[in-house]
Amino acid sequence: MILTGNAIAHEVQVGNIVIEPFESAGINPNSYNYHLGSVVKTSPHLGLDATHPEEWICTEIPSAGLVFEPNRVYLGTTIERIGSDKFVPSLIGRSSLGRLGVFLQISADLGNLGAFHNWTLEIVVTQPIRLYAGMRCGQVTFWQPEGDIALYDGVMARHSDAHESIASAIFQQPVEIIS
Amino acid sequence: MILTGLAIASQVVTNRIDLDPFDPAQVNPNSYDLRLGDTLGLYESHELDTARDNPMRYEQMGPEGAVLEPGRITLGHSVEVVGSDHYVPIIRAKSSVARLGLFVHVTADLIDIGSHGQVTFQFHAVQPVHVYPGMLVAQVTFWVPRGAITLYDGKYQGSRGPVGSQIASEKPSRD
Repeated sequence: MILTGNAIAHEVQVGNIVIEPFESAGINPNSYNYHLGSVVKTSPHLGLDATHPEEWICTEIPSAGLVFEPNRVYLGTTIERIGSDKFVPSLIGRSSLGRLGVFLQISADLGNLGAFHNWTLEIVVTQPIRLYAGMRCGQVTFWQPEGDIALYDGVMARHSDAHESIASAIFQQPVEIIS
Repeated sequence: MILTGLAIASQVVTNRIDLDPFDPAQVNPNSYDLRLGDTLGLYESHELDTARDNPMRYEQMGPEGAVLEPGRITLGHSVEVVGSDHYVPIIRAKSSVARLGLFVHVTADLIDIGSHGQVTFQFHAVQPVHVYPGMLVAQVTFWVPRGAITLYDGKYQGSRGPVGSQIASEKPSRD
């Protein structure tokens, strides 16, 4: 079951969902709006390698906004710290930006129970577009799970900055091959 | 909880789900197929700005259809009016369309409860892809909500045809 906006507000109030800062104006009928943080990261290299740590460059979005260019991924963050031990978060874009061709993540919309952090956004644009720090850029939904819960204690929940891929770290872990 | 196709069909009969026109042939095991309407919308400028109006031009497709080009966003629309005051609609591409590299939405699959209108598709083509009016291009699922419902009353209510982003009309929510 997906929580309605009223249910999200109630669960924030009783502490089952964390959204900080929280404002009632951010409530939609069945989601909550998050906002774009001011720092984005991008790689100077066109080719990326999942097995090697990449060099990423931080850019502060100026008050006049920043034109995001197609054919590269930008990593941003939500201004809000978001998480829950009770409801599964799913973070998506919003139609007002989707209509302008702005992807807010790349088919990785699912959060983990027990992960509390400022989410890293994987921003891809289809046409050059000017985005502004602090703008309302997407929405998060919360879903009631079924079953016993083992909370997330993975590495990504420790990051609240725009954090680059740790695919290389995952790749270097010993892999057990079952034959 | 996601509604099965049979549940969707029965909720259409009792007017708890809007799918108009409704054709039982478009019911899937757990979704309903949406057809592509005949109008496309394209932004006039290559560079867009979320703080300004981005003027659009509209193109009418004949039966010969149109080629959606990569490197730009093209808006389309469903033939069907979609909505519900009781369930949350979420749209998806048809897998046959996704297999051609065509995104039908841009990480905005969620429709607000209480929103009723033709769905605006956010087409992003990975390779040039030819589409035709009337083709089954997307599907809509319906999800049971938990909690008190406040119905959508926003700027896209009652949409017909492809509707461009109204983001520039929003008051900045933060300084």
